Amino acid sequence: MKSTLLWSGIASLAQLIWLVLAGPLALGLMRKVRSVIEGRDGARVTQPLRDLRKLAARQRTRPTDATWIFSAAPLVLVASALVLGALSPLASLHVLMSSRVDVVAVLFVLLLGSVALLLSALDTGTAFAGMGSSRAAMVGAMTEPALLVAILAMSLGAGTSNLARLVDAGVATSTLAGPARILALVSFFIAVLAETGRLPVDNPATHLELTMIHEAMILEYAGPDLALITWGESMRLVLLVGLFSNLALPWGIATSVGALSLGVGLLALTLKVAVVAIGVSLFEVTTAKLRLFRVPELLAGAFLLGVLSVISAVALR
Amino acid sequence: MIYALLATPLVTGLVSALVPWRRWVPLLGVASLLGVLAVALVLAHDALHSPARALHGSLAVDPLSALMLLVIGAVGLLAAIGGVRYLDLQLARAQCSTRQASLYAALVQGFIAAMLLTVLARNIAIMWVAVEATTIVTTFLVGHRRTRGAIEASWKYIIICSVGIALAFLGTILLYVASSHTGGPASLDWATLVREAPQMNHAVVRLAFSLIVLGYGTKVGLAPLHSWLPDAHSQAPAPVSALMSGVLLAVAFYAIVRCRSIAVSALGSDFVRTTLLISGLATLVVAVSMLLAQRDYKRMLAYSSMEHMGLLCLGAAAGTPLAFAAVLLHMIGHGLAKGVLFLGAGEILELEGTSEIAQVRGLLARRPALGGLFALGLAALLGLPPFSVFASELGLVRSLSAAGLTWVAGLALAALALVMVGMSAPAATMLLGPGTGRATSPRLVRAPLGAALGVLALVGVVAWPLSLLIHAGATVAAQ
Amino acid sequence: MKVSYVTPLDLAVVVVIVTAALTLWRQSLVASLRALSLQGVGLGVVAMVLGAHRRDPVLVFVGVLVLLIKGAAIPRLISRVVARDHPGREGSPLINIPASLVGAGLLTLLAFGATRGLVALIATPAARLIPFGVATTLIGFFAMVVRRRAVSQIVGLLTIDNGIALTAFLATSGVPLVVELGVSLDVLLAVAVLRVLAGHLHRQFNIQDLDQLRDLHD
Repeated sequence: MKSTLLWSGIASLAQLIWLVLAGPLALGLMRKVRSVIEGRDGARVTQPLRDLRKLAARQRTRPTDATWIFSAAPLVLVASALVLGALSPLASLHVLMSSRVDVVAVLFVLLLGSVALLLSALDTGTAFAGMGSSRAAMVGAMTEPALLVAILAMSLGAGTSNLARLVDAGVATSTLAGPARILALVSFFIAVLAETGRLPVDNPATHLELTMIHEAMILEYAGPDLALITWGESMRLVLLVGLFSNLALPWGIATSVGALSLGVGLLALTLKVAVVAIGVSLFEVTTAKLRLFRVPELLAGAFLLGVLSVISAVALR
Repeated sequence: MIYALLATPLVTGLVSALVPWRRWVPLLGVASLLGVLAVALVLAHDALHSPARALHGSLAVDPLSALMLLVIGAVGLLAAIGGVRYLDLQLARAQCSTRQASLYAALVQGFIAAMLLTVLARNIAIMWVAVEATTIVTTFLVGHRRTRGAIEASWKYIIICSVGIALAFLGTILLYVASSHTGGPASLDWATLVREAPQMNHAVVRLAFSLIVLGYGTKVGLAPLHSWLPDAHSQAPAPVSALMSGVLLAVAFYAIVRCRSIAVSALGSDFVRTTLLISGLATLVVAVSMLLAQRDYKRMLAYSSMEHMGLLCLGAAAGTPLAFAAVLLHMIGHGLAKGVLFLGAGEILELEGTSEIAQVRGLLARRPALGGLFALGLAALLGLPPFSVFASELGLVRSLSAAGLTWVAGLALAALALVMVGMSAPAATMLLGPGTGRATSPRLVRAPLGAALGVLALVGVVAWPLSLLIHAGATVAAQ
Repeated sequence: MKVSYVTPLDLAVVVVIVTAALTLWRQSLVASLRALSLQGVGLGVVAMVLGAHRRDPVLVFVGVLVLLIKGAAIPRLISRVVARDHPGREGSPLINIPASLVGAGLLTLLAFGATRGLVALIATPAARLIPFGVATTLIGFFAMVVRRRAVSQIVGLLTIDNGIALTAFLATSGVPLVVELGVSLDVLLAVAVLRVLAGHLHRQFNIQDLDQLRDLHD
């Protein structure tokens, strides 16, 4: 019993360290893939890590009208990501508190970071940031129902909303290709793209005021705060992608305690996240950003797929 | 005999489509319809004793279908003669090419063939296929004048009717499903379905019947999917309007009657009666209220068709043999009267150049023959004696109260009274009053209309040639 | 329940319903036509899988027929109309797209509720999927009501038809071949007629948006 607890602690710690590094590296990988496809050499995969170090050394600035919310937001963002990194089943099913971690709770902790950013942007009182946060609020309001419905469908299929058991159920079943599951995953994937501000919902590389959503919100941040935000965002991306790939293809995740299985789990996780990240960038290269007023259409579609998936989960049981 | 019946219009249609345009092509159509009517008479005579069958019994003539064959033949003949005049005028004014004239002649024959197949088919799915075929064939006929209104009407017609008829197909499939769970073999054969019905699952049959009433109801012109009807009837060439209003609606109604037997045998009469009452009454309300507000006489006639279909629906709701005898007699009466009126209206439109009621004055003074025929046709339609509609409406009301639906009978009478007022006032405007400048229509127009009215009066006074058939048909329908 | 044919059947049915949703989702007419074509393929596969499972060569044949007609022939017929249509997209549907997608979700729920009795009666693995057939039909209706382009209406009509065909395949072992042939012929002819009519509307009167059809009214 003791040793189980110990190993859970180790697994959580390992995931945490993995996440801290994997976030910026995934960002670097996606940029690299994009530039290679576009025929450029592009920066090294480790470039985001260097950027972070560079930013961290700079001076902190703060708008004159901003309050403590502005300073707290980056910390909340990073903290929420780190908590989830330790507690959700990424590389191993046996992490700390794994029997208590509910998938809905995970989503809400994740959203805590988004809400913090949204508030901080309003807090600055500048026009761009306000516009960005209103857009982000709209996208978020449409994303969450889709995410929740997709999760509901998967929970119905597995008969549990505990995240570890949900992933475990995926390991156990042989029919990965059930319609309910496929629909839920597609819906989940679209929601992940929207939630992490990727194309076709938001362009992470743009600073064009007419179109940007996420970048508009963090326009006032500089130095260490900006570093925290970039880092936190990248970890959120990896977290969501990791969760998605574990739900879609749970193979390789450590189902027992022990160093070997944990190592395999981490390796498998790295591979899966890399594959999905490359997939996302390939998708991004071939897609244009949707005009803002068409974003709800995409997300409503994701929602519909989620509903269809719930219905099939019930109907086809 | 049955093969001959189907082959006559099909071959005629092919010939009309393939040979280059000649003046005799429309006359060939008339000859074909004469043939159809003759064969139908023979089949009707036989049907009283031994029903004719063909294709291993998948086509058959019982008294009910024999009666429908007669209606198709009679109104078809009327419309074919009207078609000669229509094509003459169109070609003379270069409003259609000879190619289009050939197409018209061919499609009318195809239309007749599809309707014949509908009433001959024992398989309710084949019946469905045939009803859908009538939609496809008539679409071009509705749009034959190629005006903006005509094309719009034919678009609405095919879209709404295809949707409606798709519902009926779903209903048909559900009946098939229900029959496959009775223990017996899954079947689409009407007689087998009626036999197996008592073992069918009630919920499924209920759903199926509702869909069928809604679906075929679209073609009959029952509310709520009726909106194509006034457009199509007012935009189509007069002979086509006559065919659609006089026969097509009745043929679609026949499909409901057939499915009703299955539903009654499965569910008892309560659900079926309620369903038919609802759609019948809704249709009456819509038709009467729209009819009273009409300023266009062709649209007025179209709404009057809806009103009569609503009455038929109420008769079917009563469901007794007496009610069905009245329904069948009414079908014949309405078919012929509407045929006369639409052809007459087409002629009026032709001569006066407008379909507005207010623009037509003093018809009786200026064109006594045409005006007189139109007036007599209206009298027949409104149910004045001696025409048969009087007898059938009386029978309908009586059978409704006999079936314990006295309140419905009251409503029907009220509707009839309103229609009487609503149609005779505009008719008076059109027919009466002074007028100058006499003109006559060719005898080709007048003679068949007069003959049809004669038949109507004959049937109304002495039901003799038809009474046996009507009673036998009503017994089949009321099963 | 874990019969080998169930998974491919499930997938094919999901293709049909998702493509039905796609016709509501996408504004581009080309995209909805492509969805329709895929839907025809899915429908054909349903029939073939069922036919293979029931060792019914006729049903397999019907599946091939459906695949060819609804997956290839009909979309080809309509593509002409699409090519004529400018700017080739549904301008302003009666109900905006997010709302109509939510509506589609509700319709699916409705279909699910309405067919419970039927599913319980038949009780085969294929029958579980009947709600999706009915839902496809309802979505087709919905599309016809909210969409204003001639092409969209045709696509909606065919979606209704596909939904009914799907229901028929799932609920019975398919209707007799003669009926199936008759139905296919009817559908093909109806589409041909609609194509000609759409051509008239466009060429003679320059009408593409059906809201312009307002000449006839009371």
